[in-house]
Formats: sequence, C-alpha cells, structure tokens
Amino acid sequence: MPKKEGSSPPTTEIVPRERALREQIEKIEQESGAKAIAVALRDAETGFELHYHGDRWFHAASTIKVPILLGAFAAINRGDLLPHSRVHVRNRFLSVVENIPFRVESGRDANSAVHNAIGKMMRVDELAYHMITTSSNLATNLLLGVIGSDAVNQTLKELHVDEGIELRRGVEDELAFEKGINNMVTADGLLRILIMLSEGKAFSPALSRRMMDILHGQEFNQGIPARLPKGTRVAHKTGEISTVAHDAGVVYLPKRKPYVLVILTEWDPDTTGRSRTIAAISHTIYEYLIQGPVDE
Amino acid sequence: MSDPASFAETPGVNEAPNFPLRVVDGLTLPPEYRKALRPGEEWKDATGFPRQLPRYFYEIPSWDSAMKIELASHFLLWEFIQVDVREAPPLRTFPRYVPCAITLLAVCLERFRDAVGTLVHISANGGYRSPSHRFSKNATPHAWGTAANIYRIGDTYLDNRGAIERFSLIARQTLPGIWTRPYGTPTGFAEDHLHLDLGYVLSVPRDVKS
Repeated sequence: MPKKEGSSPPTTEIVPRERALREQIEKIEQESGAKAIAVALRDAETGFELHYHGDRWFHAASTIKVPILLGAFAAINRGDLLPHSRVHVRNRFLSVVENIPFRVESGRDANSAVHNAIGKMMRVDELAYHMITTSSNLATNLLLGVIGSDAVNQTLKELHVDEGIELRRGVEDELAFEKGINNMVTADGLLRILIMLSEGKAFSPALSRRMMDILHGQEFNQGIPARLPKGTRVAHKTGEISTVAHDAGVVYLPKRKPYVLVILTEWDPDTTGRSRTIAAISHTIYEYLIQGPVDE
Repeated sequence: MSDPASFAETPGVNEAPNFPLRVVDGLTLPPEYRKALRPGEEWKDATGFPRQLPRYFYEIPSWDSAMKIELASHFLLWEFIQVDVREAPPLRTFPRYVPCAITLLAVCLERFRDAVGTLVHISANGGYRSPSHRFSKNATPHAWGTAANIYRIGDTYLDNRGAIERFSLIARQTLPGIWTRPYGTPTGFAEDHLHLDLGYVLSVPRDVKS
C-alpha cells in the first residue's frame, strides 16, 4: 500500500522511491534559491499522498481565489445568488484597516474586461470566471463584496476545509498588507479543497463540475502544466506577488485518474526562476506517478 | 365666497403618446412590494430628519418596455433602473416600480447633457433604488427617483477630483437647485462618480385622488 507521508515522517516509513522523490524536490529547492517550498499531492489513481512541508503557512497571493470561488458557489447553492445574478462593477473597496477606501490598479489585472465594465454590471459567473482564469483582482473584490469574507470562512468550516486557509481580506488591500494582515494558506489546506472539488463533493457534482470548468479555463500555464505532456489537462490556480509564487490544481492525464497537486514557494523579491521551479517540481512528480509508487 | 364651480377640473390631456406606463398607488401593491418599497412611509435621512417616501409609482411591465420608453430625448427608462443583487428580490424582477418623480430627474439630466454636449452615463445602482436596497442605509433621494450617480461623461470617467469637480460645477450652473456630492472619500462624499439630486421630491400625478 502506498504510504501517507507527513511533513517530518519517520524515515523508516518512506519507501526508497518515495524517499528519492523527496530528495529530488529538496534538490530542486536548494538549486532554485527559494526561501521555502511546500508540496502537497494526492493521487486518485493510487491513493498516494505526499506532504512536503504541507502545513507551512504562506502568503496566499491569488490562490486565495479558490476558497473565494467556493464561497461564491456556496451562495449559489444556498439560493442567495444565481450564476446570472448581476453585480455592480465598481472600483472602490474598503480596507480592513479602518475602512479606508482603496482601488484595484487596472495595470495589475491581466484582463481588462472587468475594468472595462466599471459603472455597469457583470454576472456572478462572469466575475468568477475572470477571478480564476486571468486572476482578476477587481472581480475577486467585487465577488467578495457581495458574499462577504465571513460567509466564505463559514462555508469552509461547514465543508471541513477551513484548516490551512485564512481568508482575512480582499486583494490589493495595501494598508492591510503593511500591517501584516494577509490571506494565508498551507499546501495541505489548498489540497483538501481541490480534492473535494475534483471528487465532485463541493455542494453537488454539478456545482463542483462548474467550478472545475472555471479552473480548467486558467490562462497562466507556466507552472504546473508547463512541462507536462501535450494533451494533459490541468484545472488550476496560480498566485504570485513579490515574495511568493504558487500553483495549485488537478492534473488529468490520459487513461488514469487525476492527481491533485499544490506547490507553494517563497522567495526574496526580484529572484528569478519561480515558474521554472514550480514546473520542475510538477514534472518530477509526474514522472514519479506515471512510473508508479513502490509498495513497502 | 368663491363659486365652487370655479374649482372644477378643466378637462385636459396628460397621456403622452410614447409613455404607456400605468400609475399605481404603492399602498395597493401586494405585501412583498409594499415591504420593499415602503410607500408613503417615513424614513430618516443621515441627519435624523424624517422624510416621506414616495407613494405613487410607474409600473414597468418588462425590460423590453424599459429599453424602449424615452423619459427624455437621450435617456431611456432602463438607464434609471439598473440595480444589482443588493436590491430587494421582488424589485429585481418585472413588473418593476419607479417613483413618478423619475421623469423630473430625466428632464434635468437631459438639460445637463445639453450643457456637457455628450453622453451622460448613469451607473448601476445609481438611478432609482428602493429603501430596501443594501446600499440604502438612510433616506437618500435615490429612493425617491430623484438622484443619479454618473460615472462617465463622454469618454471621461468621473473617478478623480478634477473630472468630478468640473462636471459638478456645470451641473450646478445648469440646474438651479441641484445638489451635488462633494469630492472625497469619507461618508457623504464621492470619489468615483458624480452624485446629483433634486432632493426629496414627491410627484403625485394629477389623476390621483386618494
């Protein structure tokens, strides 16, 4: 049987190939210059799990948008929102620090669609799509404004996926950032959410599928998918700020069940090679899984 | 003493050929609408001063009709009734109801449009919104149908002091008695739109006798 490996597992429980996998990840980490790397993996084909510093906390960057997506669909599931419910697109938000107003910089959003709709309305499902596929910060804060952080956190709790996720504010709240009030995640925390989504257990198989469809639309593919074979489908969400670069998703290879993979990395500002490092870890794990873990 | 006969109504015409909306007394609407619209009720403004909410509304049967009905040469009805998920659920589906004073606002905006010489865009949630709208903390002329939040004029987005103050001045020069919200971030100010309103105007159509 494949063994579940903890963050600091007794070495006697690690089979040789699994140990080799950890060593490979450690080698990539050392060569990359990253300050920290965490990896969480669950393979639905074999049941194999890897938790490499899986409980270490990182600034979530845009990976926090996966829990927010879950919160939006919880509101849909409750009937509070419909996918086609309309939301006023307005670029004005209140910081969690003294309710001081702030705006999302249009230059930081890769997609101008949401900014172009300022003053008008967009549908909840459109905002969810832009929040994930092009990581629109404006769409994220608009959705969070309608749903509320407390409601998202309550959803995570009810679904028993709150461990390893700390949603404390919207994105681009610079005042909060300066005060150290940040959204935080662990690799294990994101892994639990993605497992639930990939298994169709978030509210209903239909709603889970809709969320997975959105994650499949991801347009930033320099991380987990970059070195996987052509034809591999990856439903994922990236996240990057000056000090972290992450990717978390579900990998669908032909003729096997998917695996869920979360790679979180922390860096000194201005360090290069972040995506390359994530892609290298993803490729290492891919090679490990297609060869099959060795039983004890 | 005056001759009572001198007070008799002179027969007149008030049916606009392109304005087919029915006037309804809000007090006769089904309970879910009365709860959301609060017709004729008192509602306090931000200073605690009580204001009386509109009682008479135009009934809008469909989005199609809102898209076709002109309130002024350059303003269609739909532009005044765009609300998002924060509006009370019964008021997000048709028939919809807008206070009768909405026509006065449209005429004012038309005059403002003439002064600026280009398109004037009212934002979502920036025309009529009910007292049950989640943005409506205190009485606001938006719930009287006499306020508009303008987020764009021509190609100019009103998201900075210069643009807001420039068009605010034009509005006040053009529309005597109009009130515009000053530029700024605190409550009561505006930094990403031009708010202008006519105050708490109640419009009672001539045919209403109750």
